[in-house]
Amino acid sequence: MFVRPDNWNEMSPLERRSARLDAWQNAPVQFVNPEAEAAYKVRIERLRKIYDMEPHDRPIADPFMGASEYIVRRKGVQGTDLVYNHEKLREPLLEFHREFQPDVAVGVLPYPGRSWDLLDFKLYLWGGQKLPDNLVIQAVEGEYMMPDEYADFIADPTAFWLKQYLPRAYGALAPLAMLPDFPKISESVDTIDLLLPFGMPPFQEMLHKMMEAGNELMKTLGIVGQTGAMIAAEGFPAMGLNIVKTPFDYLGDTLRGTKGILMDMYRRPNELLAACEAYVPVLIKSIVGSCDRSGAPTAFYVLHKGADAFMSQAQFEKFYWPTWKQVMMALYEEGIISYLFIEGSYNKRLENLAQMPDKSLVCHFDQTDMGPVKEILSDKFIITGNVPASLMSAGTTDEVRAYCDNLVELFEDAPAYILAHGCYFENTTDDKLRAFMDAVKK
Amino acid sequence: MSQELIDAITEMREEDVVAITNQLLDEGVAPTDILMACKQAMDVIGKRFEEGDAFIPELILAGEMMTSVTDILKPRMAEESTSDKLGKIVIGTVQGDIHDIAKDIVAFMLDLNGFDVTDLGVDVPPEKFVETVQDTGATIVGLSGFLTLAFDPMKDTVAAFKAAGLDDVKIMIGGGQIDENIRQYTGANAYGRDAMAAVDLAKSWV
Ligand code: B12
Repeated sequence: MFVRPDNWNEMSPLERRSARLDAWQNAPVQFVNPEAEAAYKVRIERLRKIYDMEPHDRPIADPFMGASEYIVRRKGVQGTDLVYNHEKLREPLLEFHREFQPDVAVGVLPYPGRSWDLLDFKLYLWGGQKLPDNLVIQAVEGEYMMPDEYADFIADPTAFWLKQYLPRAYGALAPLAMLPDFPKISESVDTIDLLLPFGMPPFQEMLHKMMEAGNELMKTLGIVGQTGAMIAAEGFPAMGLNIVKTPFDYLGDTLRGTKGILMDMYRRPNELLAACEAYVPVLIKSIVGSCDRSGAPTAFYVLHKGADAFMSQAQFEKFYWPTWKQVMMALYEEGIISYLFIEGSYNKRLENLAQMPDKSLVCHFDQTDMGPVKEILSDKFIITGNVPASLMSAGTTDEVRAYCDNLVELFEDAPAYILAHGCYFENTTDDKLRAFMDAVKK
Repeated sequence: MSQELIDAITEMREEDVVAITNQLLDEGVAPTDILMACKQAMDVIGKRFEEGDAFIPELILAGEMMTSVTDILKPRMAEESTSDKLGKIVIGTVQGDIHDIAKDIVAFMLDLNGFDVTDLGVDVPPEKFVETVQDTGATIVGLSGFLTLAFDPMKDTVAAFKAAGLDDVKIMIGGGQIDENIRQYTGANAYGRDAMAAVDLAKSWV
């Protein structure tokens, strides 16, 4: 929970950024012993210096993006355990931290399998459900908004989400479509409209299912929260993440599907643009709200359809960038850092990113050429990523070491650099992971 | 008139394409001539893609426009002969993986460059690749995959060809995280970074 100081309105964006980072850095932790506390301090101060782009003793290595599955899989954890058996993750995670002494805490994303079962979640398949036990989750694309529904979305994105999208995405939530239009509940008799669905058996049944699913979720969160606290207690600081997307990707990934949205650029460009614009205020409010609630100083973007391969630079600058930039600028004003996980390559988009104010971004690259990244972005932003998943999976330890050494050397004189993978992988070896983590310690 | 069709396609005017095709047929233009015009238009779009001036949206839309034209022409045409093709290729996304956008683009570019392409779709098991090569007599196979979990199915597919005694079939792989490391790991003949690389590799093998 982040509480704004009294003089918030007089503070500059960078002062607000510092206030959020201070709150994160000073959050109370119960340590197992004084050594753990001292180690935590060293780690979190180094990380803070990196986030402030100030001089520090060495870069850090963050295995989260690449190795988070491997670090539990190496102890026999299966894909299905990440979805159903969250208590099985605790020991492997603690063992990993004790054995490898990472620079930051490495978590595993927990998926609420039991809640999904109860709600008949359609957007994914998962291990132990329709996928074999060794797999975690797999997105299934669908058209959750039909082309002729753009107008509904543009008129009221929140109502669309509540009454059209959620009933399709979760089978058990179909009765949400019965909800009234809230902004017209005003006069005495409108209470009838407001409550009517709540009196109907299918709606009531849905509410019971939701409560049951909520109870299951609390169990999962309890286990995960406890594991996180234990990792912190042993000396490893974590930076929470709020996962978000760009307006174009919410529309493309979730509502229209990849092919759908790419065709919409030709078939209904004006509606697509209007829908992206309708998203902006909704997203700003919701991201600021979740950063306040969680206390995490960053919004973590997974970036999909703006990559080099997906569209021309002109299309990017027309459809993808403007509304995204508006959101990021608003977050910057609020002191929130945009952490960009840039899937695929962004070789042509670096100049766009460079338009953002200093220290507003962390840029995490997958396959983008890192030479130009160094040139164009490394004085302004925190840079990370690019160690290939293929190398971690199928390369030798020497190859991993050489690749990481090169990256560390390339960014030697950059103000803020974090060594990280470009993409996750299931398989590697402890030796390769150690070679990756040691590359920053030379 | 067929220049108008070519322009409509290369300018991505989807609705005009259908109208012009119908108009050409009404005027008595032979379906094969209309197809020739489409082919010319596709060549233009393919060139643009190669030169970095067209991207996935244009290729998907071009594919859709081609489908609507051939749907109109099909009832009026005899089977297309494949005798003048450069060679036969079987392509698909490997088992466990459903990423098909890139695979479709590779198939499109191979087709455009004169290959007879059999597209097996997504989540294709190794046996299916082998059977299809046996049935079609294809000499080249393209495996696409985006997941790290696709590395092993790719390896298994390469092994399945060896096991079936089809050692002469050339296998190329590509997609997201695929690179030279994975080529070595899977034992494929080559890896291609993009659809142009797929075309170059295929041409070098026929
Ligand atoms: C779009 C997308 C999806 C869409 C796919 C839609 C579709 N119909 O294809 C959806 C949403 C369905 C999807 C699902 C999943 N995805 Co996905 N997806 C992507 C994304 C964003 C883009 C991939 C793409 O289409 N690129 C566009 C192509 C055209 O670009 P390109 O690579 O430059 O294409 C060229 C080359 O690849 C080459 N090529 C391709 N094939 C071949 C073949 C040959 C023979 C040759 C020579 C060349 C060649 O030529 C192409 C054309 O020039 C990538 C991230 C990324 N940017 O790579 C993740 C990504 C591939 N997905 C990923 C994941 C994890 C998944 C899911 C498991 C999701 C999840 N967590 O829910 C599921 C898996 C589903 C499954 N069983 O396959 C991960 C894979 C990570 C890993 N370690 O395996 C990635 C890398 C994202 C990430 N960083 O985490 N995904």
